[in-house]
Amino acid sequence: MNSELSAPPTWRKRFDLLTQRLLLMIVVVVIWWLASLSVPHYVLPGPERVWDALRLIAANGDLWNNLAITLWRVVVGFVLAALTGLPLGIFLGANRRAGEFFEPVLPVLNTVSSAIWAIFAIIWFGISNATTIFVVFMTAMPLIITNVWQGTRSVNADFIELAQVLRMPQWKVMTKVYLPTILPYFFSGARLAFGFGWRVSLVAETIGSSSGIGYRLRQAADLIRTDQVFAWTLTLVIMMATIEMAMMKPVENYLFRWKKDAQAQ
Amino acid sequence: MNSAELAQGVPSQTQQSAPAIRLLGIDKTFRSGEQTIQVLRDVNLTVGPQAIVGLIGTSGSGKSTLLNIVAGIVRPDRGQVCICGAPSEAFNDWCSVGYMFQEDRLLPWRTAIRNVEFALETGSIPKSERTRRALETLHLVELDGFENAFPYQLSGGMRSRVALARSLVTEPRILLMDEPFSRLDAQTRAQMHEELLRIHRLKGMTVLFVTHDVAEAALLADEVAVMSPRPGSIKEIVKIAPPRPRDVTQTDVTVYMQRLRELI
Repeated sequence: MNSELSAPPTWRKRFDLLTQRLLLMIVVVVIWWLASLSVPHYVLPGPERVWDALRLIAANGDLWNNLAITLWRVVVGFVLAALTGLPLGIFLGANRRAGEFFEPVLPVLNTVSSAIWAIFAIIWFGISNATTIFVVFMTAMPLIITNVWQGTRSVNADFIELAQVLRMPQWKVMTKVYLPTILPYFFSGARLAFGFGWRVSLVAETIGSSSGIGYRLRQAADLIRTDQVFAWTLTLVIMMATIEMAMMKPVENYLFRWKKDAQAQ
Repeated sequence: MNSAELAQGVPSQTQQSAPAIRLLGIDKTFRSGEQTIQVLRDVNLTVGPQAIVGLIGTSGSGKSTLLNIVAGIVRPDRGQVCICGAPSEAFNDWCSVGYMFQEDRLLPWRTAIRNVEFALETGSIPKSERTRRALETLHLVELDGFENAFPYQLSGGMRSRVALARSLVTEPRILLMDEPFSRLDAQTRAQMHEELLRIHRLKGMTVLFVTHDVAEAALLADEVAVMSPRPGSIKEIVKIAPPRPRDVTQTDVTVYMQRLRELI
């Protein structure tokens, strides 16, 4: 039923898209290569230099070790942010007075730069894992709270009334009406928070760590190994894109398959 | 519900033959800030078992409030509500009440069958039992094959059928409906009327429905209770004599429609 509505894009369409993306990549690399010809390699290394640097750090294990460490810190900070942000967001949404009272706190938290959090973190935690985790946490948590809070406001009063007519106990209304309504908001907040978490983890690692991609980036810059700076950057971009497309997008598509526009796109 | 189940749950013969709904001297006033609005004054209404009764009146006459009082989601200030002969506070398993809203109110993240199951998730009925009964009820409203469709994939009429199935899946002895088909187009509404009458012949539940449409009232109801403007009370009860199924082109039906129009 409605198979023409929910049918996946045809292979031909997918192939076209793939060709387009590939073409774009080639264009970017060619422009990069042309630009690198006219400047010294420590200002802008060419693609082949960066490729060599990438092979080197991949071969000696540097790449995987630092990637794993950074990923671990981001995930821990993010999970802590989700675990505190979800209940706090629901609480602020459910309790009008608390919500009104705490409302100004969130924009303030959001405007504090991650570099400032990093400096505080160094004062409080020194050079350690906790510094990066703290920065990720402080950046991700307000984003998740804000989104979940917004989600609680969008709960349909008609559905609550329906549950009342059915004499559904309050905790079941929470899990069967509130939670499914909030979930899309939580998810988009979490996605945003995870992306921000990655970015700010680098800032934190640059100034408050002795390992991780951010630390390696600064080290490479200090040694004027621009090719390695590019190699680490490339690693990050690929990593982010993979997580986004291979994990977040499919999970979102599955969870929210009941949404009309999600299906149509 | 099979007869063994019924016999087990029924406390006494008198309660079984008692009126399905009995309202005595219902008053209701809403307060919003300084303002108080009396919506119902001394409402008395008796709905016999298996009857179909329409509730009609101008907007603001408290029809929906009255329905919500019967459903138990609004408490009257004064008066008594008896459901199957018992005070409404003591809801019985053997005399449950189904409610169908003006909008379908289907949860968009649930498939049709899961929306029907929602009504059974209040208590502790096991999952397999819920699914079996939901399937049965979807079959009853002739939606076989659409169990796993999400609401956005269904037409207005189909969504209305899912909502009807959800209000019927608990096997209610009383079905309350608040302008349930008013959002459908004329043709689909006529189909839903037939559907409702067919299920009523099959299941014999008592139906109390609110409508602003005199044709709908004259087509479906055994009796139509006409409410006066605010504060609402039952102004007159019109018995609709012609046997069902009825047609709006029948002269004996149009006579009743005319009569109802004059009364509102």
